[in-house]
Amino acid sequence: MSAEPTTIRSLDDPTIMVETPATIYDAIPPYPARTEREAEFYALRDGEMLINLGPQHPSTHGVLRVVLRIDGERVVDLDPVLGYLHRGVEKICENGDWHHAISNCDPLEYIASMFSEAMPVLAAEKLLDLEVPRRADYIRVLCWELNRIASHALFVGWLALDLGGLTPILYGFAERDEIVEMLAALTGQRLLFNYLRIGGVNGDLNHDFMSRLGEWMSRALVRIEEQQKLLNQNEIFIRRTKGLGVVSADIARRTLLSGPVLRATGVPFDVRRAHPYSVYPELEFDIPVRSEGDSYARYLLHYDEIKQSIGIIDQVLAKMPDGPIMAKIPRLLRIPPGRAYVAIESPRGQYSCYGVSDGSDQPFRLRIHDPSFFNLQAVGMMMPGNLVADTMAIMASLDPIMGGVDK
Amino acid sequence: MTVIGRSWSRLTPAGKVLLPLLAVLLALPVLLVVGWATGFLPWLIGLLAQVLGANADIVRFLLAATVLLLFTVPTAFVIIFMEMKLIAFINLRLGPNRQGPWGVLSSTLHGLKVLAKEDFTPTGVDVPVFTLAPVVVYLGAIMTIMVIPFAPGLFGLDMDIGLLYFFAIAGMGVIGLMMAGWSSFNKYSLLGGLRAAAAIISYEIPLTLAVVGVIMLAGTMSLNQIVLQQAGSALDWYAFQQPLAFVIFFIAATAEAGRTPFDLTEADSEIVAGFATEYSGMRFGFFFFAEYVNVFILSALTATLFLGGWNAPFDLAIVLNALSVTVDPTIDPGSLGMGLLWLVLLGPPLVVLLLALPFWMLKSDWSFIKSLVVGFILFNVVVMALIGIWAYMSFPFVAGLFWFLVKTFSLVALFVIMRGTLPRVRIDQLMGFAWKWLIPAALVNIFVTAAAILVIRSGTD
Amino acid sequence: MTVADVAALMTTLHDDPDLRFLILSDLAGVDTGTTMQVVYHLWSDTTPDWLRVIAEGLPREDPRIPSVTFLWNGAEWAEREAYDMFGIIFEGNRDLRRIYMPPDYQSFPLRKDFLLADDAARSPGQGVRHMEQTFMPAESGAQPALRQGTGAGTTDALPMTTDALAASTPDTADASQRAPT
Repeated sequence: MSAEPTTIRSLDDPTIMVETPATIYDAIPPYPARTEREAEFYALRDGEMLINLGPQHPSTHGVLRVVLRIDGERVVDLDPVLGYLHRGVEKICENGDWHHAISNCDPLEYIASMFSEAMPVLAAEKLLDLEVPRRADYIRVLCWELNRIASHALFVGWLALDLGGLTPILYGFAERDEIVEMLAALTGQRLLFNYLRIGGVNGDLNHDFMSRLGEWMSRALVRIEEQQKLLNQNEIFIRRTKGLGVVSADIARRTLLSGPVLRATGVPFDVRRAHPYSVYPELEFDIPVRSEGDSYARYLLHYDEIKQSIGIIDQVLAKMPDGPIMAKIPRLLRIPPGRAYVAIESPRGQYSCYGVSDGSDQPFRLRIHDPSFFNLQAVGMMMPGNLVADTMAIMASLDPIMGGVDK
Repeated sequence: MTVIGRSWSRLTPAGKVLLPLLAVLLALPVLLVVGWATGFLPWLIGLLAQVLGANADIVRFLLAATVLLLFTVPTAFVIIFMEMKLIAFINLRLGPNRQGPWGVLSSTLHGLKVLAKEDFTPTGVDVPVFTLAPVVVYLGAIMTIMVIPFAPGLFGLDMDIGLLYFFAIAGMGVIGLMMAGWSSFNKYSLLGGLRAAAAIISYEIPLTLAVVGVIMLAGTMSLNQIVLQQAGSALDWYAFQQPLAFVIFFIAATAEAGRTPFDLTEADSEIVAGFATEYSGMRFGFFFFAEYVNVFILSALTATLFLGGWNAPFDLAIVLNALSVTVDPTIDPGSLGMGLLWLVLLGPPLVVLLLALPFWMLKSDWSFIKSLVVGFILFNVVVMALIGIWAYMSFPFVAGLFWFLVKTFSLVALFVIMRGTLPRVRIDQLMGFAWKWLIPAALVNIFVTAAAILVIRSGTD
Repeated sequence: MTVADVAALMTTLHDDPDLRFLILSDLAGVDTGTTMQVVYHLWSDTTPDWLRVIAEGLPREDPRIPSVTFLWNGAEWAEREAYDMFGIIFEGNRDLRRIYMPPDYQSFPLRKDFLLADDAARSPGQGVRHMEQTFMPAESGAQPALRQGTGAGTTDALPMTTDALAASTPDTADASQRAPT
């Protein structure tokens, strides 16, 4: 069945199914192991079994395939296989304009796409040394914080759904629906906003957006408190998340985690404070930190961050200056050659972009560093020793977005 | 002939059953007429009456079994609909509201959908085991309805060991789950089946131990007798005499039925559909129905054992006496004489008009016809309520059935609300809870009950 | 700085108490048309300093560079991605296999000579490009058409001034007449 040594039959090759008799179930790939880690992983010991938490699964957050090596119900090792959502965004960005890169990079973090849009925008602005008008900056921060709240609201829902509670995700969606409707009033889109532009934003705040925002803000804190009540003290929820998926601060640093996963381990690292950008230096907010490093700490940390974001929105609305929303840039944007590195804090962690320009209007290299990509490596550290039932809970508590992981 | 043979082989299994039935149905009138004419039919009827009369017990049993079998399907439909609507309301949404008024037809349509799906057997499965697994699970669920007393005189079979029979048959369902898990050629199903077996077997022990206290109090294992022992008012129910056993039983019943928070056998966020991953169409429908019938049966059993079965929480006669109201529910239509004719002719239109007039007068945008229609509907509701009250007071089984269903469905609603609010428990936590907490608690309950009985009975002797 | 010094340099930057660049913020591969580069961005977790380290001059035929996974576990996947997209082999990475593409994929997508079909010019002077022309790492038989820029030749190796583009337009126009291989 296995071919000659020179041709490797990929497991994704559809003809393999036809030729393989159904009684032979060969989970181990039909080619020799390519790396020592792969050899170590696929050498099954006595009583172990390979099970595929496949790309089609009600709970993997997007198309992620995780090959688990389990001994009974206990996970011994795991091997995430990525690439099912790989769209070649970086290559496509190289073939288009800097402006095209905005809508290309939108679906990288499709839940909170203002952050992924900001990547080519901020990189281009840094390369151009462009000064963005203050009003545009404030509007950007407002949209970023709204996106952060929308994304965190959904995180809680997913964590609960993977644990079996059917209700919190619908509360999260109710919350998110209001936010997304107000952003649709502002940008015209509910999910992939395509709102940030090189030099500013696309349109000014309008009456519909402000009225919806005001309505939402008047109830926001109260509703967040209410929604917390369902699960915070729930004995079953606590027993399933406490002490689960513990990461220590040291390991978190070495694994290059960022975002809520890192802050839940006790490291107070937030890109908004460590490498400030936009108008964050002028805003007052705390960085919520928890020290246990388990899923329950991550869950509580997300709620803390939502509250901080609501505070930031308050300040932004109070301080919003008047002025233009878009800087003057030429229609055909030729960016002088150079390299730029920009980083922002997305709901999942440090989102950064290394942009290289060659003087033409196309990006020469747009490298996007996505936090979910690095956070997902922690899964390999957290999962062994836990049960199969916890795999989903741990993965949900890391909040990966496969759009960014697979680019 | 080959044409017929080929067409026959092209029919689905359902078609192969329905076509002969259709043929029989079409031929039936002809046969009846012929039989009546030749006198064959009356003789046959006489013979049947004789045979049935001689074996009245068996006939009753068969009739009860058929009725109960048919009764499970609408019950499951009602519970499924209730679940979808209740969980939707907890989730701040509406649930099905397009199929029929308020979505009442949604369950029926789900049933039809499940029947209409393609019925395939995946490659690599163990076909006889795969095919029989849903049957075993379903039978293990519904055979237990036979012993549950719905009302005084309304039960399938009153066995002296009714409770033992119940637990024996309920344990049969585990075999079906394991069969399903193993025979599907799928690691997820295997995991699900093993989890299911482990969970359900673990919780059968607290379930049975919890009712030992009830058996000691009642002195019998016959469910009918247990209900009769709880006659009186609500304070005679065993829930107040065995509170710990009630709680243990309810928790163990939740695990037995495979409901949240113990629904890891079908945890659809972890192992897709657990043991039922490879099933589709009516095979899956069997598992699905079996689960809801299980929920109903376990609620019914809880109501029977702890909440007094078909006993009313208060005795209506005492209440009426206190109010010094005597109600004689016998209706003698003949005594009205001519008045009966007037009542039948004029009563309904007058009452409809009476009920419609307030609507027509107070709602300005309603036409007269519309208010008449509303009045007619209200008239029907009123008449049905009156008939219901009359039936309640004259036939004891109506009252019993009413209270039994109220209790059972409130417990089912409790199951559903638990599903909507609580997350899932992990398998090791579940087993730990059963073995380390519920079984010792149940044993403690038995000892305390035995001691109490000894003390109280010896005290009164 | 040669490629072999990367490991020592990273260790110094990581451990030195004055520098303490403890966070590897990004690890990227860049294909400049002539050579390959690996770009590291290092952050200090106490001060807002950051450092960009460019390891350049990696040959296109057999780009090898020591891995930094001994300092940061999290770089493992980033290096896998650089390998998958460019073909850069990180020596010392225990798990250097393809991360996005299927395991038997033969070419490296983000290289500049991996061309996508394009139905229209994105900017003036580019023209239609060929269908996917893959580059076998070990064989150097067929020389596929490189994107322009071999004439630039500065050490910074950033090709693609607009003049160079305009000058080489006829080449791509001719190339587009050939049927895709």
